[in-house]
Amino acid sequence: MSAIADRIRGIVRAPLPIVAPNSPAVPAQAGQTGSPVKTLERTLGGDWRDGCFVVERRRKPDTKHGRETVATLAQRLDRSAAEASFFADGTARPPFVFFDLETTGLSGGAGTQAFLVGCGGFAEDGGFVTRQFLLTRPADERALLQTVRAELAGAGVLVSFNGKSFDAPLLETRYAFHRVEWIRDRLPHLDVLHPARRFWNGEDCSLGALEARLLGLRRAGDVAGFEVPSRYFRFVRTGNPEPLVAVLEHNRQDLLTLAALTARLLHLSRAGVSEARDAAEALALGRIYARAGLEERSREAFIRAIAMSRAPAGAFDPIRIESLRLLALAWRRARCYEDAERCWRQLSEVHGCPPHIVREATEALAIHYEHRAPNLLTAKEFALQGLRAPLTPSAQQASEHRLARLDRKLRTQRGASSMPVLEY
Amino acid sequence: MLLARRFQAENALDAALQRLTGPTLPERLDTPDLHITAVRRLPAVNAQYAPFPATLDDRLTRALSARGVTQLYTHQAEAIDHALTGRNAVVITPTASGKTLCYNAPVLHAILQDPSSRALYLFPTKALAQDQLAELQTMCETIAGGSGEQIGVFTYDGDTPQDARRTIRARAHVVLSNPDMMHSGILPHHPRWAKLFENLRYVIIDELHAYRGVFGSHLGNVLRRLRRICRHYGSNPVFLCSSATIANPRDLAERLTEQPFELVDKSGAPRGEKYFVFVNPPVVNRQLGIRRSYLSETRRIASEFLKRNLQLIVFAQSRLTTEILTTYLKDDFDAVPGAPDYIRGYRGGYLPNRRREIEKGLRDGVVRAVVSTNALELGIDIGALDVCVMAGYPGTIAATWQRAGRAGRRTSRSAAVMVASSAPLDQFVVRNPSYFFDASPERALIDPDNLHILVDHIKCAAFELPFTTSETFGKHDVQEILGVLAEQGLVHQADTQWTWTNESYPADAVSLRSVSSDNFVVVDTTDAARVIGETDFTSGPSTLHPKAIYIVEAKLYQVERLDFEGRKAFVREIDCDYYTDAITYTRVTPIDTFAADHDRSHGEVHVVSRVVGFKKIKFYTNENVGSGELDLPEQQMHTTSYWLTVPASLVQLLPYASDDRRDGIVGLAFALRQVAQLLLMCDRHDVGISIDDEETSCDAHRIFIYDNYPGGIGFSAPLFEMHAELLTRTRQLIADCDCEQGCPGCVGPVGNTGPLAKAVALRILDLMLEGQAA
Repeated sequence: MSAIADRIRGIVRAPLPIVAPNSPAVPAQAGQTGSPVKTLERTLGGDWRDGCFVVERRRKPDTKHGRETVATLAQRLDRSAAEASFFADGTARPPFVFFDLETTGLSGGAGTQAFLVGCGGFAEDGGFVTRQFLLTRPADERALLQTVRAELAGAGVLVSFNGKSFDAPLLETRYAFHRVEWIRDRLPHLDVLHPARRFWNGEDCSLGALEARLLGLRRAGDVAGFEVPSRYFRFVRTGNPEPLVAVLEHNRQDLLTLAALTARLLHLSRAGVSEARDAAEALALGRIYARAGLEERSREAFIRAIAMSRAPAGAFDPIRIESLRLLALAWRRARCYEDAERCWRQLSEVHGCPPHIVREATEALAIHYEHRAPNLLTAKEFALQGLRAPLTPSAQQASEHRLARLDRKLRTQRGASSMPVLEY
Repeated sequence: MLLARRFQAENALDAALQRLTGPTLPERLDTPDLHITAVRRLPAVNAQYAPFPATLDDRLTRALSARGVTQLYTHQAEAIDHALTGRNAVVITPTASGKTLCYNAPVLHAILQDPSSRALYLFPTKALAQDQLAELQTMCETIAGGSGEQIGVFTYDGDTPQDARRTIRARAHVVLSNPDMMHSGILPHHPRWAKLFENLRYVIIDELHAYRGVFGSHLGNVLRRLRRICRHYGSNPVFLCSSATIANPRDLAERLTEQPFELVDKSGAPRGEKYFVFVNPPVVNRQLGIRRSYLSETRRIASEFLKRNLQLIVFAQSRLTTEILTTYLKDDFDAVPGAPDYIRGYRGGYLPNRRREIEKGLRDGVVRAVVSTNALELGIDIGALDVCVMAGYPGTIAATWQRAGRAGRRTSRSAAVMVASSAPLDQFVVRNPSYFFDASPERALIDPDNLHILVDHIKCAAFELPFTTSETFGKHDVQEILGVLAEQGLVHQADTQWTWTNESYPADAVSLRSVSSDNFVVVDTTDAARVIGETDFTSGPSTLHPKAIYIVEAKLYQVERLDFEGRKAFVREIDCDYYTDAITYTRVTPIDTFAADHDRSHGEVHVVSRVVGFKKIKFYTNENVGSGELDLPEQQMHTTSYWLTVPASLVQLLPYASDDRRDGIVGLAFALRQVAQLLLMCDRHDVGISIDDEETSCDAHRIFIYDNYPGGIGFSAPLFEMHAELLTRTRQLIADCDCEQGCPGCVGPVGNTGPLAKAVALRILDLMLEGQAA
């Protein structure tokens, strides 16, 4: 090599130690035994469709995924398919296509590729079928994108985990790169991450953590997420697909877990609050019902959430506080002001309740006693109590305004009555 | 009424100038040894007009007429004509000559003709983009009002909120951005900008002269990446550039874009009469060559103008001097009501709102005086003022004209005053006015093929689009470079493509404003630890060594500990009356000589430098009040260098003792560096200087002037070419200096060099120039 190459070597410092390609890539030659293409088919068990390498696998209906069988999941999903519209944008309808990408990095941008597009769905017989589209050579990306587009064309809803923020934009970038049309706006998308945070938020809301916590599943020999890109790069450099075997398996597991979580989510939404395991699930159900305009079901859920709260009455419990607050608002929407008043009162008495909620509660109570159950003195008491919480300048102004008005009303009330008011 | 006010202002200006220069205001001979070394009168110039090109969209010409533009200046017509016929053009125009129309007209025309057309504007700073946004939006509103055509104009930079970005990508016809955002935010995400790149008709590069040195070398590569991406999407945009006056605008534009350019350099804009005055503060100690403080002198002169109610701008050399001069001027007008509001400071580090307020105050005439760093040198719209006073020579001819251009309305009289400091460069210029007034301005130099810079951008480019095995990128063999990147696992070749095979986002690791992104951060530990500044890796040891005084916004800090490995300096606030100056020991060894004849050479060198100690220097008096020794790690780099060889035969001819000969060489090097900086149009830290070891002093001496960046950024070859001029000018600088034995204005202060340094240095130069003549 020339002197310039040596200088460049001095300039380029490798960002990460990389496994040296011990066995240099063998160029693919037709008819040669052991050529990478053949190895690919044999090692990964796939075939070529329209210039794209596809690995198709079936999980039989009676296989177990965690505590449930695949058939049970299929059945639950099938029965509660209509509930998908609680969570998806657009009108979600079957068939459900679960999808998950494996990428060459997390940073996005033109140099980050989706080297594996995993799609999955339940078959008629209750089995779970996955089709994984693998980018075997960079030059084949266009073909891959076109094949994936055809695959997704029949979907009624796309289901992902964090796909709205990561997978879909990344894929959209790839389509834009190749000037191939992408189906973004035509296909409803259900991103399970967001409801999962509401329903099952513990300390960790990753797919793996949820799988362990909710499905009772433990994977053996799984690939860590950070290892995925380097395994792919090893394949690209050496032509040896061996490192990808575990990546494809990891992706298939993710797809089935995603399907299981979706089934659980939709089943729970359908069955209602009686099946909620804890207060958080009940509260989350209340929210989705409220958003869908199912007022009665949502109130029932909030009430159940309050009842399921394990904290003693009056003690700080964020789920209880939030349920009370949402219940109060729900009662007010239903014009059941007395019920709303009871909720606000309970809220205002919770020890350590966040100031903005105290303010909301006391303000609601002040309004209630000023207009609906006229008792100006009680109204004034709540207005004063509200002022004690730390306020933004505009809220402060509103509260002071209310107090001034109450004082004015109190004065005219006294003036109108001929009785002397001694207590003042 | 308006006329009366104008006469009033001109009379006031005349009166103030006469007070400064004496009664003979008009043209006079230069007087290098006097207080006022030069007064030049630049006559008024009449406007030259041209009609709108017939092909220009009439919705645009109607909108322009509605805004009072019924015809064009000749240079505008010429530039628009080039643009409309698809030729790249670079326009050289003085301040306030309507340069924006030169590129706004073709851009808006293209969008009106075909609404899918897109344009991209690049400005060196975010503030300039904001300024242009306002102007373009007003224009687009007029067009929308007249014809209903909606044209979307948006800035897209680091301040653009995330949630607005998608909308901008979809709706912007014109995107105003900067090279840094282009590099790290737009090019790596080009698929999201597919619409822009598919339909990109024009790329506008404003303030072209700002892209010299490292920044320019980076921009050259960013534009290579931009053109690659345009090719991918099938577009081939026309480049329109505007530049302040530099010696090689067309050459710079062509090097940056690797495209042929038309030059438009004859301005048709009118200009009022202008006086240009050079002031050299009088000598107070002739022996040591100490002059009266140039800051007090600037204050005195500025007050004279301000007293007569003339609107003025004062340019200071640093943030510190800006604040000092603002305080001085406010003190002078303390008794006048409202003074705090009409005398303002302006510099980087002020909040945007405050800056906008001051700019508006200047345009409205509410602010009467502003003291600014070079922050107001670039084209921020502050209207035209009556007077510009420069505290210190701005460093380059181009920057001086640019600053002077801040004063001068299209019709009335204006003045620019340059007050020299005692720095050698200032002294050379103030004592040789014709160097400034009659010579061409500096060349802007870049080297986009600097390997360090190039390799970084090849990584970015590979991330953006796979390289093909037949592709080129710059002057080096990109295939060979990709081969090395492949060894590191960054790219992989399959078939005819090199694909990026790494998880990283390479643009994040590259800063356009330096060669290496490695830096030292400065942590203030006075109270809770907080970062108060940063310094690039090369100058870290010399500015952040233990016990160094570090200055931020007039606050003094002392470095308590330098964590070299962790790249951190821990400082604490201190109250003292001195600053520190590091003593650096540097050794340069030539590796490869590119060219050499007689006593000049240039080539590749290995530079080893180490900070070995420091001096404490008292503020205002510049007395040396102490020193210290340091033990810091060595820094090494490969770079390019010019060197001057003083032959052994010549040294032996010198009728001086060997110590004195040595002093002469040291003094000569000091002066050479100043002049080299002048000729190269570079900043002080852009070049370094070194002399061969003392052990070899009986032989030839070599004085190296090297590019102070790894890999070099292209200063050494031009310096090699300008060798003769370098020697002549250096001789002139030393010979013309009034001091007896050397001063900061020529071969360095006597204490540093020795009593005979000046004489020996002059003798060496005489002999070398004689040898050249023969």
